[in-house]
Amino acid sequence: MPEYKGWKMPAKATAEEMRQIHIEPVPDDQKVEKAIQYLDEMRKKFRSFVLAMESCVKCGLCAENCHTYLGTGDPNNIPTNRAELIRKIYRRYFTLEGRWFGKLVGAEDLNLDIIEQWYSYFYQCNECRRCGHVCPFGIDTCEVTMIGRQILHWLGIVPKLHASVGAAMERTGNHTGLTKPAIVDTLEFLSEEIKDEFGVDVEFPVDKEGADIMYVPSSADFLLNPYTLMGAGMFFTYIGANWTIPSTITEAGNFGLLFDQQHTMRHNFTRLLHAAQKLGVKKIVWGECGHGWRAWKMYFPGMADLPIRWPITHIHDEVAYYIRTNQLKLDPYKIGRPVTLHDPCNYVRACGLAETMRTVIRACVADFREMYPNKENNFCCGGGSAILFDDPEMYQLRIKFSSKKAEQVRATGVGRDGNGILCAPCSICKAQLYPMVEEHELGVEVKGLIDLVGMALVWK
Amino acid sequence: MTYFIAQILPYITVTVFILGVLYRLWRWTASRIVHNITLSPFPQTKTEVLGIYLREILLFRNVFNFDRPLWVGAWPMHIALLNVIGGHVVGFYFLGKQFVYLGASEALSKNLSNLLGTVFGIILLAGLLYLLYRRVALDKVRQVSNPSDYLMLLLLISIVSVGNFMRLVPEYGMHYEPVKEYFTTLILFQPAAIPEGNPFFIIHLLLAQVLIMILPFSKLMHLFGMFGMRWIENRVYKEPAPGLPNVDVAAARARGAGLPSASSSDVA
Repeated sequence: MPEYKGWKMPAKATAEEMRQIHIEPVPDDQKVEKAIQYLDEMRKKFRSFVLAMESCVKCGLCAENCHTYLGTGDPNNIPTNRAELIRKIYRRYFTLEGRWFGKLVGAEDLNLDIIEQWYSYFYQCNECRRCGHVCPFGIDTCEVTMIGRQILHWLGIVPKLHASVGAAMERTGNHTGLTKPAIVDTLEFLSEEIKDEFGVDVEFPVDKEGADIMYVPSSADFLLNPYTLMGAGMFFTYIGANWTIPSTITEAGNFGLLFDQQHTMRHNFTRLLHAAQKLGVKKIVWGECGHGWRAWKMYFPGMADLPIRWPITHIHDEVAYYIRTNQLKLDPYKIGRPVTLHDPCNYVRACGLAETMRTVIRACVADFREMYPNKENNFCCGGGSAILFDDPEMYQLRIKFSSKKAEQVRATGVGRDGNGILCAPCSICKAQLYPMVEEHELGVEVKGLIDLVGMALVWK
Repeated sequence: MTYFIAQILPYITVTVFILGVLYRLWRWTASRIVHNITLSPFPQTKTEVLGIYLREILLFRNVFNFDRPLWVGAWPMHIALLNVIGGHVVGFYFLGKQFVYLGASEALSKNLSNLLGTVFGIILLAGLLYLLYRRVALDKVRQVSNPSDYLMLLLLISIVSVGNFMRLVPEYGMHYEPVKEYFTTLILFQPAAIPEGNPFFIIHLLLAQVLIMILPFSKLMHLFGMFGMRWIENRVYKEPAPGLPNVDVAAARARGAGLPSASSSDVA
């Protein structure tokens, strides 16, 4: 269903697909009643949500600070208006002024059309939190999107893409449905690639009991971003680490954050705890994945049902540490191409990784050019929160969402000779930007940050 | 009617205001901070956190950085509003002689009090009109506005206009002394009749009370909301220490880890 009453929307998961992620879709005639009940539960629970509902003054500052509004010009993509889709319902049912004054204060009864509109617009939000970052009060509209998606999930309305990823995660421990033999096969192939291209021997130990370090890569690295996985393997080999990749959770992401922050997110957290316990590791290192790192860094400590016995760090933090302590020999002239860095939203705004990434990239690349605005002020790639839909209408939207990013990349001039590198160290950014740099003809190749580390390492 | 506005309504206003604000704050605190949703910039100390609060509250830094045209109206408006409210309290309490405590003579203090009141009153009105203009004229602001957003501005503009009118047109002006006397009787629960029978003063008083009663049920609660939101988002986060267990890079490099010759010698 690519469109409903003029609202563009991604294809929905079928009832059968919803059952695979343990949801029995709510029949249409009960949806409104249920939605209000769920909304009531959420508002009693989440202060961030209540404050977003009750303290916005509608100053309009967020409008031109949101790339989806800049790209589409659709007034419902103004962050505060997107939140208003829920706020008007919230006012109607949960505030005195809304009950007494109705439309005058912008309160409205809930109906099925509004639920469809939620689905359309909450899946046009990238959850990049730029609106929260620029808001004078810090109102985090991302929280509203997340709660909107949670309610939709409980009603049985989730995009096919997100539902199938949730099911694959539960079945195989990664988003792409890779089985252990496929994982081992791919890693052997990558070892050969490294040997051919860089002339070094790198082994990727899988499920090695007694390893000191557990490295959790993004499953997309096995298929789409091999250089990221190769870079990580080369880094661990270079420093002589006793490391392993767990086959039970080869996934740095956590789609639970994006559509179901309850059951799905917690399920993935539990999986990691079990894997770490089984392998007896001492530290867990996280691969390149933006939303995933937010989930694991910020949400995991509060949601794990067991005491967390293992420190978890991001591979960028570790590489930066070895660079700062002068233990890595990197040749920034090996990569003789101009490079710019796209700051993944979750890294810079939700996890504070901005300076870490710069420590790493400056050590790996001689011709590094910042794009502006950057760091925590950066704009999203347009794929954030995995709205990487292929339905033609949605794909057109993705092009519009990425237009601000394209403008920024062009301004750096790295693609002028067609040999630039756009470093985007996040699996979703990569998946969005691979096609988008073509659509916008930017003359750059998309790479991860650990890719560049692998390329710049000096072995002798 | 005047009797109601001046001698009964104030008590209703204060009751509604206090209970209303407490009700809203209770609703907020009844819900919890479920997840760690710390937002950039990531401060490392409590002092830095305080710095973020202060620069947002005192300078509206985000508005300055991300929407300068809005800041031009919003910041002076709020500063003027703060001074006007403060001026009402201080001016009436000290009868305009508050600056005596800063070393001014009584006459100078009264003049200064008048001057500041006039200047801030005009800035406040200009700021509000500018914000109303934005709400009507700019697409992006009009598109996010509800009827109540306009009404709120119009109410504020009415209150400030009447106030400025009384200040600028001497025959309708109010003196400090009778107003102070009136408020004193109010506070002592022996409300006296409104002095001088100035219709503009009655309108000013009525509208101000309407505003105070609406405040707890409106977006004006952003006054408290911003503290609530920043309390959730701007906090210290301590990173786990980097550095990997049982890793000795120097030894690994000396051994030639990863180099083909090293592997073959391992085998041998």
